[in-house]
Amino acid sequence: MIAGRRFDVWTSAMLLGFAFVAVLLVWPLWSILAASFTDNRTGVFTLNNYVSVLTRPLYQTALINSLIVSLGGMAGALLLGVPLAILTTRYRIAGRDLLATLSVLALVSPPFIGAYAWIMMLGQNGWMRHGLAAIGIELPSIYGFFGILLVFSLKFFPFVYLLTASSLNTINASVEEAAEGLGASPLRRLFTVTLPLVLPALSSAALLVFVLALADFGTPSIVGGRVRVLATTAYNLFTSEMGGNPGLASTTAIVLIVISMVVVALQRWAVRRRNVAGALLRRPQPRVLKPFASAVAHLVCYAIVLAASLPSLVVIYTSLRKTSGPVFQPGFGIESYARVMHEVPHVIANSFSYSTISVAMIVILGTLIGYVLARRDSPVAGTLDSALMIPYIVPGVVMGVGFVVTFNVPPLEITGTATILVLMLMIRRLPYSVRSSASILKQIKGSIEEAAISLGASPAQAFLKVTMPLMLPGIVAGALMSFITAINELSSSLILYVGRTMTMPVRIYLSVLDGEFGTAAALSTILLVTSGAAVYAVFRLTGSKENAFV
Amino acid sequence: MARVDLRHIEKGYPGLKALDDVNLAIESGEFFTLLGPSGCGKTTLLRTIAGFIQHDAGEVLVAGSRIDQMPAHRRNMGMVYQDYAIFPHLSVADNVAFGLKTRRRPSAEIADRVQRALELVQLGNHGKRLPHELSGGQQQRVALARAMVINPQILLMDEPLSNLDAKLRVELREDIRDLQRSLAITTIYVTHDQEEALAISDRICVMQSGRVHQVASPQKIYAEPATLFVASFIGAMNVIPVGTADASLSATELPERLRARAPMTLAIRPEDIVVGQGANGNALALDGTVEKVTYAGREAYAHARCASGLRLLAHLYRPSAGQLALVGETVRLRLPLDRLHAFDAADGRRIELPA
Repeated sequence: MIAGRRFDVWTSAMLLGFAFVAVLLVWPLWSILAASFTDNRTGVFTLNNYVSVLTRPLYQTALINSLIVSLGGMAGALLLGVPLAILTTRYRIAGRDLLATLSVLALVSPPFIGAYAWIMMLGQNGWMRHGLAAIGIELPSIYGFFGILLVFSLKFFPFVYLLTASSLNTINASVEEAAEGLGASPLRRLFTVTLPLVLPALSSAALLVFVLALADFGTPSIVGGRVRVLATTAYNLFTSEMGGNPGLASTTAIVLIVISMVVVALQRWAVRRRNVAGALLRRPQPRVLKPFASAVAHLVCYAIVLAASLPSLVVIYTSLRKTSGPVFQPGFGIESYARVMHEVPHVIANSFSYSTISVAMIVILGTLIGYVLARRDSPVAGTLDSALMIPYIVPGVVMGVGFVVTFNVPPLEITGTATILVLMLMIRRLPYSVRSSASILKQIKGSIEEAAISLGASPAQAFLKVTMPLMLPGIVAGALMSFITAINELSSSLILYVGRTMTMPVRIYLSVLDGEFGTAAALSTILLVTSGAAVYAVFRLTGSKENAFV
Repeated sequence: MARVDLRHIEKGYPGLKALDDVNLAIESGEFFTLLGPSGCGKTTLLRTIAGFIQHDAGEVLVAGSRIDQMPAHRRNMGMVYQDYAIFPHLSVADNVAFGLKTRRRPSAEIADRVQRALELVQLGNHGKRLPHELSGGQQQRVALARAMVINPQILLMDEPLSNLDAKLRVELREDIRDLQRSLAITTIYVTHDQEEALAISDRICVMQSGRVHQVASPQKIYAEPATLFVASFIGAMNVIPVGTADASLSATELPERLRARAPMTLAIRPEDIVVGQGANGNALALDGTVEKVTYAGREAYAHARCASGLRLLAHLYRPSAGQLALVGETVRLRLPLDRLHAFDAADGRRIELPA
């Protein structure tokens, strides 16, 4: 802040930021890019990998499947999220906060848990399948597109719901009233005024869902059956029993990134001239519906949210069932918990310690870099800011492959260590932390810090006494959210773990594949309860802002 | 309470000269206003004095000693911001106590001085409140108390009234002025509002594009603007180019003793134009058609257009019904020669006309 002293703690923070980005982001991605253009055996430049991926039926199918499940998941999430957002913001729905909280809980529970919970409900022996069959409803097999799209829709709709609802809440009430005054019917008003106004929020939510669905590995891997997508293909290519194929795996990874980039660019283009910000003079007031319509609206809202919460309930219930070995017995018991405590205590310890360490690094680095980006407007800071966009569009599988390709040889030979897992968790979440602390700082006016300085506080004192206390709730909330994503991370950990460094999501995944549903449920419950506790803490800190999560 | 001297202050940004050889001498206890349009360099100058911007060249002296190299937090200056810059996490009393705590004053003294400062700004019983419970005007009073309580050598104010509504602005303006007088504290005040500057200042410095146009008392700034820019920035002014390419008045229409000065720019305030028939006297007489009369209660403005295309705005004090019904009529507009300001056509500097 003080003129004349350019090289200070903030310059060091920026250099540190660049170092981390260069080593942990640019280098691995460069390695993947290089590998995709390299022949595995001869090591010379080739385009064959791309030719294979684009022409061989196996990969073509994976590409098309990826697009189907991403678009389908997006459509499903919109179908559930948009009506929920409109109903809860425009009409009086009892228990609105409960709906929002349950949606957030559905949001923070890992998708692979949802996938395997739905298998227990709708698999060949699932109680729900039997129940529905008894009343004459036959469902397609859970394995395949049906399962993937079901899980994606129920997992990702909260993004659409929360983002759209918050946008709907900032439309001036008079705008909709004006449309009504001009003779537009409610439905016409919705499509000609309301929805166009929330289009930026709606489309960025849709984009987010698309990118997450495209990147998701756990869901298609668990309920995909024979439906292979790019993420699972890349993983299989890389970890295949026959020594793997880093060239093709890398090429698949690059294709994944390119699709994400194209979609992001399309969304930006679509909303390019839609700056619909206006002064929020009057908040829209929810209307009271007629009894019958109100009952239908309540039914729709609660059905959506309960369906999304169902997997968590099933997992918790399953974890408490009596088991003998892998076989469930009638009645309740804590055998599953006893088993995980006895067999894999280190897995639980790993998850907590890796997440905690990575979050500590994220908080420190994220706050420092965020401060630099918010307070120093320079081309250098701008470059760092753009570089930090990368993890938003790079799937975990891709980062995992990049890390292995890059860090299994000197000078940084850390494959198989806990360090590589911690660094991965850190770099994937760091950008979110940087952005959130930068945006918190942008809300703290620079003049406040200056005022402290003019009153005699040194720049360091001003930061500690004024800026830090103001940032703290935001930083802690951000840290808790980072913790939630870190402890639930599956795809990259699955590529990087060795027996010693196994984490809970990896163990759950392997248990599900082995049919050890009791163990998986107990570990999943630990994850769910931990995430739920973190969500509760965030709510307390931010005054119940569901939007902190999207 | 100290005098401030600025000598040859320069500050440049890429492609922009923010401060161009600024020289000012601000007397001890003076209420000194930096006035100009946005981007004129007034805030840059204020922040240079505060130590938040490092100037490229020149000297800043407070009470005779240079402070250029002193970091902002050692300069002992109170600063009041447009956006109040109140610490939102601290109570009103803790906000005011902040500067005293960094100076490690005994707590009994702090409590006492904070209470007295709050009473000075009429917030004596608001100490325990949090900032968000206060109105904008009250927050700015807290900021004022916070800046004054440290007994600063100089009080710096950066458009402190801009975020307040009109009525409150006038009220707080008077309070600031009274407080400044009673404490006799050297105050440098930045504003873009010329009316505010005229009402509050001992002296005004009018700036444009990083340069000082005029430093003088409000009366002198209004009555004898040093440049065409000052003339048109302060109050309403009719500007009449004479004898240039885009001139709306030919030099031949001027009395002989003025004619020699052309090309130049003449200017006259609306209230100095006399509307209606009468002896021409020692005045330039022009005929114009009244296109519009704007009524404002106590006064009105007649917008007239001469045959040459020249537009003139004339002030009508306590307008009669006849004057308000002048639209469409051609009237005689008399511009008394002793009320005319003249400026050099090239550099805009004031020319003293021969009496």
